[in-house]
Amino acid sequence: MDLQNLSFKQTRHLLLDKQITAVEIANYFLARTKEIDPKIKAFITITEKEIIDQAQRIDEKIKKGEKLGKLAGAVMAVKDIFLTKGIQTTSSSQVLNGYIPQYSSSIYQKLIDEDVMIIGKTNTDPFAFGASTENSGYFTTKNPWNIEMVPGGSSGGSAAAVAADLCHFALGTDTGGSIRQPSSLCGVSGIKTTYGRNSRYGITAMASSFDCPGVFARDVEDIALVTEITAGLDPHDATTCDIEVPKYTENLKKINIKGLKIGLPKEYFTGSIDPEVKEKVLNAAKEFEKQGAILVDISLPSTDLGIAVYYILIPSEISANMARYDGIRFGQSVDGAPDIVSYYMQTRGKYMEPEVKRRILIGTYALSSGYYDAYYTKAAKVRTLIKNEFVEAFKNVDVILAPCSPTPAWKIGAKVNDPLQMYLADVYTVCINVAGVPGLALPCGFNNQNLPIGFQLIGNFFEEEKLFSLGHQFQQFTDYHQKRPQL
Amino acid sequence: MSASNKITPEELDHIAKLARIDLTDDEKKTYLPQLESVLEYLDILNKADTTNIKPTFRVNEQKNVFHQDEVKESFSQKDALSTATKTKDGYFEVVATIKK
Repeated sequence: MDLQNLSFKQTRHLLLDKQITAVEIANYFLARTKEIDPKIKAFITITEKEIIDQAQRIDEKIKKGEKLGKLAGAVMAVKDIFLTKGIQTTSSSQVLNGYIPQYSSSIYQKLIDEDVMIIGKTNTDPFAFGASTENSGYFTTKNPWNIEMVPGGSSGGSAAAVAADLCHFALGTDTGGSIRQPSSLCGVSGIKTTYGRNSRYGITAMASSFDCPGVFARDVEDIALVTEITAGLDPHDATTCDIEVPKYTENLKKINIKGLKIGLPKEYFTGSIDPEVKEKVLNAAKEFEKQGAILVDISLPSTDLGIAVYYILIPSEISANMARYDGIRFGQSVDGAPDIVSYYMQTRGKYMEPEVKRRILIGTYALSSGYYDAYYTKAAKVRTLIKNEFVEAFKNVDVILAPCSPTPAWKIGAKVNDPLQMYLADVYTVCINVAGVPGLALPCGFNNQNLPIGFQLIGNFFEEEKLFSLGHQFQQFTDYHQKRPQL
Repeated sequence: MSASNKITPEELDHIAKLARIDLTDDEKKTYLPQLESVLEYLDILNKADTTNIKPTFRVNEQKNVFHQDEVKESFSQKDALSTATKTKDGYFEVVATIKK
Protein backbone atom coordinates (compact mmCIF):
# COMPACT_ATOMS: atom_id res chain seq x y z
CA MET A 1 0.00 0.00 0.00
CA ASP A 2 1.41 3.44 -0.86
CA LEU A 3 1.23 5.56 2.25
CA GLN A 4 3.10 8.52 0.81
CA ASN A 5 0.22 10.85 0.17
CA LEU A 6 -1.73 9.97 3.28
CA SER A 7 -1.95 12.28 6.26
CA PHE A 8 -1.50 10.86 9.74
CA LYS A 9 -5.28 10.96 10.19
CA GLN A 10 -5.85 8.81 7.08
CA THR A 11 -3.07 6.41 8.05
CA ARG A 12 -4.55 6.03 11.51
CA HIS A 13 -7.94 5.08 10.03
CA LEU A 14 -6.27 2.27 8.10
CA LEU A 15 -4.58 1.09 11.29
CA LEU A 16 -7.77 1.16 13.35
CA ASP A 17 -9.68 -0.61 10.54
CA LYS A 18 -6.99 -3.30 10.59
CA GLN A 19 -6.24 -2.75 6.92
CA ILE A 20 -2.62 -2.22 7.85
CA THR A 21 -0.40 -2.98 10.86
CA ALA A 22 1.92 -0.62 12.70
CA VAL A 23 4.87 -2.77 11.63
CA GLU A 24 3.82 -2.33 7.99
CA ILE A 25 3.64 1.44 8.47
CA ALA A 26 7.09 1.43 10.11
CA ASN A 27 8.56 -0.71 7.34
CA TYR A 28 7.06 1.51 4.66
CA PHE A 29 8.69 4.64 6.16
CA LEU A 30 11.99 2.84 6.79
CA ALA A 31 12.18 1.66 3.19
CA ARG A 32 11.28 5.09 1.87
CA THR A 33 13.81 6.80 4.14
CA LYS A 34 16.58 4.41 3.11
CA GLU A 35 15.83 5.14 -0.52
CA ILE A 36 15.35 8.92 -0.34
CA ASP A 37 17.54 10.07 2.55
CA PRO A 38 20.90 9.45 0.82
CA LYS A 39 19.81 12.20 -1.63
CA ILE A 40 18.74 14.80 0.92
CA LYS A 41 20.59 13.73 4.08
CA ALA A 42 17.93 14.79 6.56
CA PHE A 43 18.92 12.23 9.19
CA ILE A 44 21.97 11.83 11.40
CA THR A 45 20.58 8.63 12.93
CA ILE A 46 17.88 6.33 11.56
CA THR A 47 16.30 4.50 14.50
CA GLU A 48 15.43 1.24 12.80
CA LYS A 49 15.33 -0.86 15.95
CA GLU A 50 13.28 1.65 17.94
CA ILE A 51 10.63 2.15 15.26
CA ILE A 52 10.12 -1.60 14.80
CA ASP A 53 10.02 -2.22 18.57
CA GLN A 54 7.45 0.53 19.03
CA ALA A 55 5.40 -0.76 16.05
CA GLN A 56 5.35 -4.27 17.53
CA ARG A 57 4.16 -2.87 20.87
CA ILE A 58 1.32 -1.05 19.09
CA ASP A 59 0.30 -4.13 17.10
CA GLU A 60 0.33 -6.12 20.35
CA LYS A 61 -1.96 -3.55 21.97
CA ILE A 62 -4.35 -3.78 19.01
CA LYS A 63 -4.31 -7.57 19.19
CA LYS A 64 -5.16 -7.48 22.88
CA GLY A 65 -7.77 -4.79 22.43
CA GLU A 66 -5.90 -2.35 24.68
CA LYS A 67 -6.42 1.39 24.49
CA LEU A 68 -4.22 3.05 21.89
CA GLY A 69 -2.43 6.35 22.30
CA LYS A 70 -3.55 9.36 20.25
CA LEU A 71 -0.53 9.02 17.98
CA ALA A 72 -0.63 5.28 17.27
CA GLY A 73 0.19 4.97 13.58
CA ALA A 74 2.15 8.24 13.40
CA VAL A 75 5.80 8.30 12.37
CA MET A 76 7.90 11.13 13.78
CA ALA A 77 11.37 12.53 13.09
CA VAL A 78 13.14 14.39 15.89
CA LYS A 79 15.67 17.20 15.64
CA ASP A 80 18.91 15.88 17.09
CA ILE A 81 18.97 18.41 19.93
CA PHE A 82 16.10 16.64 21.74
CA LEU A 83 17.51 14.16 24.24
CA THR A 84 16.22 10.66 23.51
CA LYS A 85 17.00 8.07 26.16
CA GLY A 86 19.21 5.31 24.77
CA ILE A 87 19.41 6.92 21.31
CA GLN A 88 22.49 8.92 20.28
CA THR A 89 21.92 12.67 20.53
CA THR A 90 24.63 14.70 18.82
CA SER A 91 23.07 18.18 18.52
CA SER A 92 24.81 17.95 15.12
CA SER A 93 28.06 18.82 16.85
CA GLN A 94 31.21 16.73 17.12
CA VAL A 95 31.19 17.75 20.79
CA LEU A 96 28.41 15.23 21.43
CA ASN A 97 29.43 12.56 18.92
CA GLY A 98 28.49 9.24 20.53
CA TYR A 99 26.55 10.78 23.41
CA ILE A 100 23.74 8.46 24.59
CA PRO A 101 21.51 10.37 27.02
CA GLN A 102 20.18 8.72 30.19
CA TYR A 103 16.86 10.53 29.99
CA SER A 104 14.47 11.99 27.42
CA SER A 105 13.21 15.50 26.79
CA SER A 106 9.74 16.08 28.22
CA ILE A 107 7.86 16.66 24.98
CA TYR A 108 9.49 13.73 23.19
CA GLN A 109 8.44 11.52 26.12
CA LYS A 110 4.86 12.84 26.01
CA LEU A 111 4.63 11.87 22.34
CA ILE A 112 6.18 8.43 22.90
CA ASP A 113 3.61 7.90 25.67
CA GLU A 114 0.93 8.49 23.01
CA ASP A 115 2.38 5.64 20.91
CA VAL A 116 4.23 7.67 18.28
CA MET A 117 6.96 5.82 16.35
CA ILE A 118 10.36 7.50 15.95
CA ILE A 119 12.08 7.07 12.58
CA GLY A 120 15.24 8.99 13.40
CA LYS A 121 17.14 12.04 14.58
CA THR A 122 17.48 14.90 12.11
CA ASN A 123 20.35 17.13 11.14
CA THR A 124 20.54 20.75 12.27
CA ASP A 125 23.15 23.43 12.59
CA PRO A 126 25.26 22.49 15.64
CA PHE A 127 23.27 23.16 18.83
CA ALA A 128 20.80 24.90 16.44
CA PHE A 129 23.26 27.74 15.65
CA GLY A 130 22.53 28.63 12.05
CA ALA A 131 20.01 29.17 9.28
CA SER A 132 20.88 26.50 6.69
CA THR A 133 22.27 23.30 8.36
CA GLU A 134 25.62 24.14 6.72
CA ASN A 135 27.21 24.67 10.15
CA SER A 136 26.45 21.05 11.13
CA GLY A 137 29.48 19.13 12.34
CA TYR A 138 28.40 16.20 10.12
CA PHE A 139 26.98 17.24 6.73
CA THR A 140 24.62 19.67 5.04
CA THR A 141 21.00 18.68 4.47
CA LYS A 142 19.67 19.36 0.98
CA ASN A 143 16.39 20.96 0.04
CA PRO A 144 14.04 18.24 -1.32
CA TRP A 145 12.74 20.71 -3.93
CA ASN A 146 16.22 21.24 -5.36
CA ILE A 147 19.17 19.42 -3.89
CA GLU A 148 21.57 22.23 -4.80
CA MET A 149 19.75 24.47 -2.35
CA VAL A 150 19.78 24.72 1.45
CA PRO A 151 16.70 23.51 3.35
CA GLY A 152 16.96 26.47 5.72
CA GLY A 153 17.73 26.05 9.38
CA SER A 154 18.51 25.39 11.93
CA SER A 155 15.83 22.64 11.93
CA GLY A 156 16.54 21.93 8.24
CA GLY A 157 16.68 18.15 8.64
CA SER A 158 13.21 18.06 10.20
CA ALA A 159 11.72 20.34 7.53
CA ALA A 160 13.31 18.29 4.73
CA ALA A 161 12.10 15.01 6.27
CA VAL A 162 8.50 16.27 6.28
CA ALA A 163 8.79 17.76 2.77
CA ALA A 164 10.13 14.43 1.45
CA ASP A 165 7.38 12.42 3.22
CA LEU A 166 9.85 10.51 5.39
CA CYS A 167 7.57 10.97 8.41
CA HIS A 168 4.16 12.39 9.31
CA PHE A 169 5.60 15.16 11.44
CA ALA A 170 8.90 16.27 12.90
CA LEU A 171 10.02 18.05 16.06
CA GLY A 172 12.11 21.19 15.83
CA THR A 173 13.02 24.25 17.84
CA ASP A 174 12.67 27.91 16.96
CA THR A 175 14.98 30.31 18.78
CA GLY A 176 15.16 32.94 16.02
CA GLY A 177 13.21 31.37 13.16
CA SER A 178 14.56 27.81 13.09
CA ILE A 179 11.11 26.27 12.49
CA ARG A 180 9.38 28.96 10.42
CA GLN A 181 12.25 29.73 8.04
CA PRO A 182 12.97 26.08 7.03
CA SER A 183 9.19 25.51 6.80
CA SER A 184 9.05 28.32 4.30
CA LEU A 185 12.10 27.13 2.34
CA CYS A 186 10.87 23.50 2.22
CA GLY A 187 7.17 24.16 1.58
CA VAL A 188 5.80 22.69 4.81
CA SER A 189 3.95 24.07 7.84
CA GLY A 190 5.47 24.68 11.26
CA ILE A 191 4.60 26.27 14.60
CA LYS A 192 6.78 28.38 16.84
CA THR A 193 4.75 28.34 20.02
CA THR A 194 4.55 31.12 22.60
CA TYR A 195 7.62 31.11 24.84
CA GLY A 196 6.72 28.89 27.80
CA ARG A 197 4.01 26.89 26.00
CA ASN A 198 6.20 23.84 25.21
CA SER A 199 8.73 22.58 27.74
CA ARG A 200 12.43 23.07 26.99
CA TYR A 201 13.46 20.31 29.42
CA GLY A 202 15.88 17.82 27.91
CA ILE A 203 16.66 19.86 24.82
CA THR A 204 20.26 21.06 24.53
CA ALA A 205 19.97 24.73 25.44
CA MET A 206 20.81 27.48 23.00
CA ALA A 207 19.37 30.70 24.43
CA SER A 208 17.16 29.90 27.38
CA SER A 209 14.99 33.01 27.26
CA PHE A 210 14.23 32.43 23.55
CA ASP A 211 14.17 28.67 22.82
CA CYS A 212 10.74 27.42 21.67
CA PRO A 213 10.21 23.77 20.74
CA GLY A 214 7.58 23.09 18.10
CA VAL A 215 6.52 20.85 15.26
CA PHE A 216 6.57 20.61 11.46
CA ALA A 217 3.91 18.82 9.41
CA ARG A 218 2.22 19.11 6.07
CA ASP A 219 -1.24 19.88 7.51
CA VAL A 220 -2.06 22.31 10.29
CA GLU A 221 -4.46 19.69 11.64
CA ASP A 222 -1.53 17.39 12.49
CA ILE A 223 0.39 20.30 14.05
CA ALA A 224 -2.64 21.12 16.22
CA LEU A 225 -2.90 17.51 17.37
CA VAL A 226 0.77 17.24 18.32
CA THR A 227 0.80 20.63 20.06
CA GLU A 228 -2.30 19.66 22.04
CA ILE A 229 -0.19 16.81 23.48
CA THR A 230 3.14 18.60 23.96
CA ALA A 231 1.94 21.92 25.40
CA GLY A 232 1.50 22.70 29.06
CA LEU A 233 3.14 23.00 32.43
CA ASP A 234 6.25 20.93 33.08
CA PRO A 235 7.68 20.87 36.60
CA HIS A 236 11.11 20.33 35.00
CA ASP A 237 10.95 23.67 33.16
CA ALA A 238 10.08 26.57 35.47
CA THR A 239 9.40 28.85 32.49
CA THR A 240 6.45 26.78 31.26
CA CYS A 241 3.14 28.43 32.08
CA ASP A 242 0.20 27.10 34.01
CA ILE A 243 -2.28 28.21 31.37
CA GLU A 244 -4.87 25.75 30.15
CA VAL A 245 -4.10 24.08 26.81
CA PRO A 246 -7.15 24.44 24.55
CA LYS A 247 -8.46 21.51 22.51
CA TYR A 248 -6.82 22.81 19.35
CA THR A 249 -8.11 19.98 17.15
CA GLU A 250 -11.72 20.56 18.15
CA ASN A 251 -11.54 24.29 17.44
CA LEU A 252 -10.03 24.32 13.96
CA LYS A 253 -13.08 26.07 12.51
CA LYS A 254 -13.68 28.26 15.54
CA ILE A 255 -12.31 31.58 14.32
CA ASN A 256 -14.56 33.45 11.94
CA ILE A 257 -12.51 34.95 9.13
CA LYS A 258 -15.29 37.36 8.25
CA GLY A 259 -14.44 40.69 9.83
CA LEU A 260 -11.10 39.42 11.16
CA LYS A 261 -8.48 42.17 11.16
CA ILE A 262 -5.17 41.03 9.67
CA GLY A 263 -2.22 43.40 10.12
CA LEU A 264 0.38 43.71 7.37
CA PRO A 265 3.50 45.30 8.92
CA LYS A 266 5.07 47.55 6.31
CA GLU A 267 8.60 46.85 7.58
CA TYR A 268 8.23 43.20 6.48
CA PHE A 269 7.46 44.07 2.88
CA THR A 270 10.22 46.55 2.10
CA GLY A 271 13.98 46.49 1.69
CA SER A 272 15.68 43.30 0.61
CA ILE A 273 12.53 41.23 0.08
CA ASP A 274 12.49 39.15 -3.12
CA PRO A 275 9.67 40.41 -5.40
CA GLU A 276 8.21 36.93 -5.90
CA VAL A 277 8.16 36.31 -2.13
CA LYS A 278 6.38 39.61 -1.63
CA GLU A 279 3.83 38.82 -4.32
CA LYS A 280 3.01 35.33 -3.02
CA VAL A 281 2.76 36.45 0.61
CA LEU A 282 0.46 39.33 -0.34
CA ASN A 283 -1.60 36.85 -2.37
CA ALA A 284 -2.03 34.78 0.79
CA ALA A 285 -3.33 37.91 2.53
CA LYS A 286 -5.75 38.43 -0.38
CA GLU A 287 -7.02 34.85 0.02
CA PHE A 288 -8.05 35.75 3.57
CA GLU A 289 -9.55 39.01 2.29
CA LYS A 290 -11.70 37.03 -0.18
CA GLN A 291 -13.06 35.11 2.82
CA GLY A 292 -14.06 38.37 4.48
CA ALA A 293 -10.98 39.38 6.44
CA ILE A 294 -10.02 43.04 6.65
CA LEU A 295 -6.39 43.83 5.75
CA VAL A 296 -4.90 46.62 7.85
CA ASP A 297 -1.56 48.33 7.19
CA ILE A 298 0.42 48.49 10.41
CA SER A 299 3.91 49.43 11.49
CA LEU A 300 6.38 47.68 13.79
CA PRO A 301 8.99 50.46 13.68
CA SER A 302 11.80 48.71 15.57
CA THR A 303 11.87 45.71 13.22
CA ASP A 304 15.23 46.73 11.75
CA LEU A 305 16.77 46.47 15.23
CA GLY A 306 15.68 42.87 15.72
CA ILE A 307 18.78 41.20 14.29
CA ALA A 308 21.10 43.34 16.40
CA VAL A 309 19.13 42.67 19.59
CA TYR A 310 19.06 38.99 18.74
CA TYR A 311 22.77 38.68 17.94
CA ILE A 312 23.71 40.27 21.24
CA LEU A 313 21.30 38.50 23.58
CA ILE A 314 21.50 35.09 21.88
CA PRO A 315 25.31 34.75 21.91
CA SER A 316 25.34 36.04 25.49
CA GLU A 317 22.97 33.29 26.60
CA ILE A 318 24.85 30.81 24.40
CA SER A 319 28.20 31.64 25.99
CA ALA A 320 26.71 30.83 29.40
CA ASN A 321 24.85 27.69 28.27
CA MET A 322 27.81 26.24 26.38
CA ALA A 323 29.98 26.36 29.49
CA ARG A 324 28.57 22.93 30.39
CA TYR A 325 30.56 21.29 27.58
CA ASP A 326 33.65 20.70 29.66
CA GLY A 327 34.54 17.23 28.35
CA ILE A 328 34.07 15.69 31.79
CA ARG A 329 30.47 14.63 32.35
CA PHE A 330 29.61 14.04 28.69
CA GLY A 331 30.92 14.71 25.23
CA GLN A 332 34.23 14.28 23.48
CA SER A 333 37.50 15.27 25.16
CA VAL A 334 41.22 15.42 24.52
CA ASP A 335 43.93 13.26 26.06
CA GLY A 336 47.12 14.38 27.72
CA ALA A 337 46.28 17.94 28.80
CA PRO A 338 48.65 18.98 31.62
CA ASP A 339 46.07 20.84 33.73
CA ILE A 340 42.35 21.43 33.90
CA VAL A 341 42.26 24.80 32.11
CA SER A 342 44.28 23.41 29.20
CA TYR A 343 41.94 20.41 29.18
CA TYR A 344 38.90 22.69 28.78
CA MET A 345 40.57 24.88 26.18
CA GLN A 346 41.91 22.03 24.06
CA THR A 347 38.69 20.01 24.28
CA ARG A 348 36.49 22.95 23.27
CA GLY A 349 39.01 24.13 20.67
CA LYS A 350 39.16 20.72 19.04
CA TYR A 351 35.51 19.67 18.99
CA MET A 352 33.41 22.83 18.71
CA GLU A 353 32.41 23.84 15.19
CA PRO A 354 33.42 27.32 13.92
CA GLU A 355 29.93 28.83 14.35
CA VAL A 356 29.76 27.51 17.92
CA LYS A 357 33.06 29.21 18.68
CA ARG A 358 32.03 32.45 16.95
CA ARG A 359 28.84 32.73 18.97
CA ILE A 360 30.54 31.94 22.26
CA LEU A 361 33.20 34.57 21.46
CA ILE A 362 30.61 37.24 20.56
CA GLY A 363 28.64 36.46 23.73
CA THR A 364 31.70 36.43 25.94
CA TYR A 365 32.72 39.78 24.46
CA ALA A 366 29.26 41.30 24.96
CA LEU A 367 29.15 40.16 28.58
CA SER A 368 32.73 41.05 29.42
CA SER A 369 33.76 43.85 31.72
CA GLY A 370 33.43 47.26 30.09
CA TYR A 371 31.02 46.14 27.35
CA TYR A 372 28.14 44.66 29.36
CA ASP A 373 26.01 47.82 29.54
CA ALA A 374 26.77 48.95 26.01
CA TYR A 375 25.78 45.62 24.48
CA TYR A 376 23.76 43.35 26.76
CA THR A 377 21.76 45.93 28.72
CA LYS A 378 21.15 48.07 25.65
CA ALA A 379 19.89 45.07 23.68
CA ALA A 380 17.64 44.00 26.58
CA LYS A 381 16.09 47.50 26.58
CA VAL A 382 15.47 47.44 22.83
CA ARG A 383 13.91 44.02 23.41
CA THR A 384 11.32 45.83 25.54
CA LEU A 385 10.62 48.26 22.69
CA ILE A 386 10.11 45.42 20.20
CA LYS A 387 7.85 43.48 22.56
CA ASN A 388 5.78 46.59 23.31
CA GLU A 389 5.25 47.22 19.61
CA PHE A 390 3.69 43.77 19.22
CA VAL A 391 1.51 44.32 22.32
CA GLU A 392 0.34 47.64 20.86
CA ALA A 393 -0.26 46.15 17.40
CA PHE A 394 -2.53 43.46 18.84
CA LYS A 395 -4.79 46.16 20.28
CA ASN A 396 -5.73 47.05 16.69
CA VAL A 397 -5.49 43.78 14.77
CA ASP A 398 -6.38 40.15 15.53
CA VAL A 399 -3.38 38.62 13.82
CA ILE A 400 -0.32 39.72 11.85
CA LEU A 401 0.64 38.28 8.46
CA ALA A 402 4.23 38.48 7.18
CA PRO A 403 6.83 36.59 5.14
CA CYS A 404 9.12 34.09 6.96
CA SER A 405 12.20 34.70 4.86
CA PRO A 406 13.17 37.52 2.48
CA THR A 407 14.15 34.95 -0.19
CA PRO A 408 13.37 31.37 -1.18
CA ALA A 409 16.08 28.74 -0.58
CA TRP A 410 19.57 29.81 -1.66
CA LYS A 411 22.45 27.80 -3.09
CA ILE A 412 24.46 25.66 -0.71
CA GLY A 413 27.70 27.52 0.05
CA ALA A 414 26.48 30.98 -0.96
CA LYS A 415 26.61 32.49 2.54
CA VAL A 416 28.98 30.24 4.48
CA ASN A 417 31.92 32.63 4.53
CA ASP A 418 29.94 35.62 5.66
CA PRO A 419 28.32 35.06 9.07
CA LEU A 420 26.61 38.46 9.03
CA GLN A 421 24.79 37.66 5.76
CA MET A 422 23.70 34.35 7.27
CA TYR A 423 22.42 36.19 10.37
CA LEU A 424 20.43 38.60 8.20
CA ALA A 425 18.51 35.63 6.74
CA ASP A 426 16.57 35.68 10.04
CA VAL A 427 15.35 39.25 9.58
CA TYR A 428 11.61 38.38 9.38
CA THR A 429 11.56 35.80 12.14
CA VAL A 430 13.72 37.04 15.03
CA CYS A 431 11.46 39.82 16.32
CA ILE A 432 8.74 37.26 17.05
CA ASN A 433 11.23 35.41 19.30
CA VAL A 434 12.47 38.65 20.83
CA ALA A 435 8.85 39.40 21.79
CA GLY A 436 7.96 35.79 22.70
CA VAL A 437 4.71 35.56 20.72
CA PRO A 438 3.67 32.56 18.57
CA GLY A 439 4.03 32.25 14.78
CA LEU A 440 2.65 29.66 12.37
CA ALA A 441 4.44 29.18 9.04
CA LEU A 442 2.39 28.05 6.04
CA PRO A 443 3.27 27.43 2.39
CA CYS A 444 1.75 29.91 -0.09
CA GLY A 445 3.28 29.26 -3.49
CA PHE A 446 6.41 28.82 -5.55
CA ASN A 447 8.84 31.06 -7.40
CA ASN A 448 9.66 30.67 -11.09
CA GLN A 449 12.26 28.00 -10.23
CA ASN A 450 9.66 25.93 -8.37
CA LEU A 451 11.12 26.74 -4.95
CA PRO A 452 8.56 27.02 -2.14
CA ILE A 453 7.56 30.30 -0.53
CA GLY A 454 5.90 30.57 2.87
CA PHE A 455 4.34 33.13 5.17
CA GLN A 456 3.66 33.35 8.87
CA LEU A 457 0.62 34.22 10.92
CA ILE A 458 1.70 35.87 14.16
CA GLY A 459 -0.61 35.88 17.16
CA ASN A 460 -0.65 37.46 20.59
CA PHE A 461 0.71 35.51 23.58
CA PHE A 462 -0.86 32.02 23.90
CA GLU A 463 -3.06 32.46 20.82
CA GLU A 464 -1.94 29.25 19.11
CA GLU A 465 -5.60 28.21 18.89
CA LYS A 466 -6.39 31.21 16.68
CA LEU A 467 -3.35 30.55 14.46
CA PHE A 468 -4.24 26.87 14.03
CA SER A 469 -7.84 27.73 13.18
CA LEU A 470 -6.82 30.31 10.56
CA GLY A 471 -4.06 28.09 9.18
CA HIS A 472 -6.39 25.13 8.89
CA GLN A 473 -9.02 27.20 7.09
CA PHE A 474 -6.35 28.60 4.75
CA GLN A 475 -5.46 25.00 3.88
CA GLN A 476 -9.12 24.33 3.06
CA PHE A 477 -9.27 27.06 0.40
CA THR A 478 -5.71 26.58 -0.91
CA ASP A 479 -3.69 23.46 -1.75
CA TYR A 480 -0.06 24.66 -1.58
CA HIS A 481 0.53 22.39 1.42
CA GLN A 482 -0.29 19.32 -0.66
CA LYS A 483 2.34 19.94 -3.34
CA ARG A 484 5.21 17.45 -3.29
CA PRO A 485 8.77 17.66 -4.60
CA GLN A 486 9.90 15.19 -7.28
CA LEU A 487 12.38 12.86 -5.63
CA MET B 1 29.40 50.28 22.19
CA SER B 2 30.84 52.03 19.15
CA ALA B 3 33.82 53.43 21.07
CA SER B 4 35.68 51.19 18.69
CA ASN B 5 34.61 48.06 16.91
CA LYS B 6 38.17 47.07 16.33
CA ILE B 7 39.05 44.02 18.33
CA THR B 8 42.77 43.75 18.79
CA PRO B 9 44.41 40.34 18.49
CA GLU B 10 45.23 40.61 22.22
CA GLU B 11 41.56 41.23 22.99
CA LEU B 12 40.55 38.18 20.97
CA ASP B 13 43.08 36.10 22.90
CA HIS B 14 41.65 37.41 26.15
CA ILE B 15 38.05 36.65 25.14
CA ALA B 16 39.02 33.17 23.93
CA LYS B 17 40.73 32.50 27.23
CA LEU B 18 37.67 33.68 29.17
CA ALA B 19 35.56 31.38 26.97
CA ARG B 20 38.02 28.50 27.49
CA ILE B 21 38.54 27.91 23.77
CA ASP B 22 41.94 27.29 22.17
CA LEU B 23 42.08 29.05 18.81
CA THR B 24 44.61 28.25 16.10
CA ASP B 25 46.35 31.10 14.29
CA ASP B 26 44.24 30.40 11.21
CA GLU B 27 41.06 30.58 13.26
CA LYS B 28 42.11 33.90 14.76
CA LYS B 29 42.76 35.28 11.29
CA THR B 30 39.31 34.18 10.14
CA TYR B 31 37.31 35.17 13.21
CA LEU B 32 38.81 38.60 13.85
CA PRO B 33 37.34 40.33 10.76
CA GLN B 34 34.11 38.33 11.05
CA LEU B 35 33.58 39.41 14.65
CA GLU B 36 34.41 42.98 13.74
CA SER B 37 31.85 43.07 10.97
CA VAL B 38 29.20 41.65 13.33
CA LEU B 39 30.07 44.18 16.05
CA GLU B 40 29.99 46.99 13.53
CA TYR B 41 26.50 45.93 12.48
CA LEU B 42 25.37 45.93 16.13
CA ASP B 43 25.99 49.70 16.26
CA ILE B 44 22.54 50.06 14.70
CA LEU B 45 21.16 49.83 18.25
CA ASN B 46 22.60 53.26 19.02
CA LYS B 47 19.79 54.81 17.03
CA ALA B 48 17.17 53.44 19.44
CA ASP B 49 16.15 55.82 22.21
CA THR B 50 15.98 53.70 25.34
CA THR B 51 15.75 56.52 27.88
CA ASN B 52 13.56 55.32 30.78
CA ILE B 53 13.03 51.91 29.13
CA LYS B 54 13.47 48.90 31.38
CA PRO B 55 15.36 45.90 30.05
CA THR B 56 13.46 42.67 29.30
CA PHE B 57 15.18 39.52 30.51
CA ARG B 58 12.18 37.22 30.20
CA VAL B 59 9.10 37.63 28.06
CA ASN B 60 6.49 36.13 30.34
CA GLU B 61 5.69 37.75 33.62
CA GLN B 62 6.53 34.76 35.78
CA LYS B 63 8.60 35.39 38.86
CA ASN B 64 9.61 32.88 41.49
CA VAL B 65 8.43 29.35 40.84
CA PHE B 66 8.48 27.14 43.90
CA HIS B 67 8.21 23.42 44.33
CA GLN B 68 8.00 21.11 47.31
CA ASP B 69 11.34 20.00 48.71
CA GLU B 70 10.71 16.31 48.27
CA VAL B 71 13.12 13.45 47.84
CA LYS B 72 12.52 11.87 44.45
CA GLU B 73 14.02 9.04 42.48
CA SER B 74 17.16 10.07 40.64
CA PHE B 75 19.78 8.48 38.38
CA SER B 76 21.70 5.52 39.76
CA GLN B 77 25.42 6.12 40.14
CA LYS B 78 25.99 3.85 37.15
CA ASP B 79 23.61 5.84 34.94
CA ALA B 80 24.97 9.19 36.09
CA LEU B 81 28.48 8.14 35.13
CA SER B 82 27.51 6.41 31.89
CA THR B 83 28.34 9.41 29.70
CA ALA B 84 31.55 10.40 31.50
CA THR B 85 34.91 10.49 29.72
CA LYS B 86 36.74 8.89 32.64
CA THR B 87 35.59 7.48 35.93
CA LYS B 88 37.40 6.13 38.97
CA ASP B 89 35.89 4.42 42.01
CA GLY B 90 32.43 5.69 41.10
CA TYR B 91 33.51 9.31 40.56
CA PHE B 92 34.06 11.48 37.51
CA GLU B 93 37.80 11.63 36.98
CA VAL B 94 39.45 14.87 35.88
CA VAL B 95 43.02 16.00 35.32
CA ALA B 96 44.69 17.67 38.27
CA THR B 97 43.09 20.96 39.26
CA ILE B 98 45.69 21.81 41.91
CA LYS B 99 49.43 21.75 41.37
CA LYS B 100 51.39 19.48 43.68
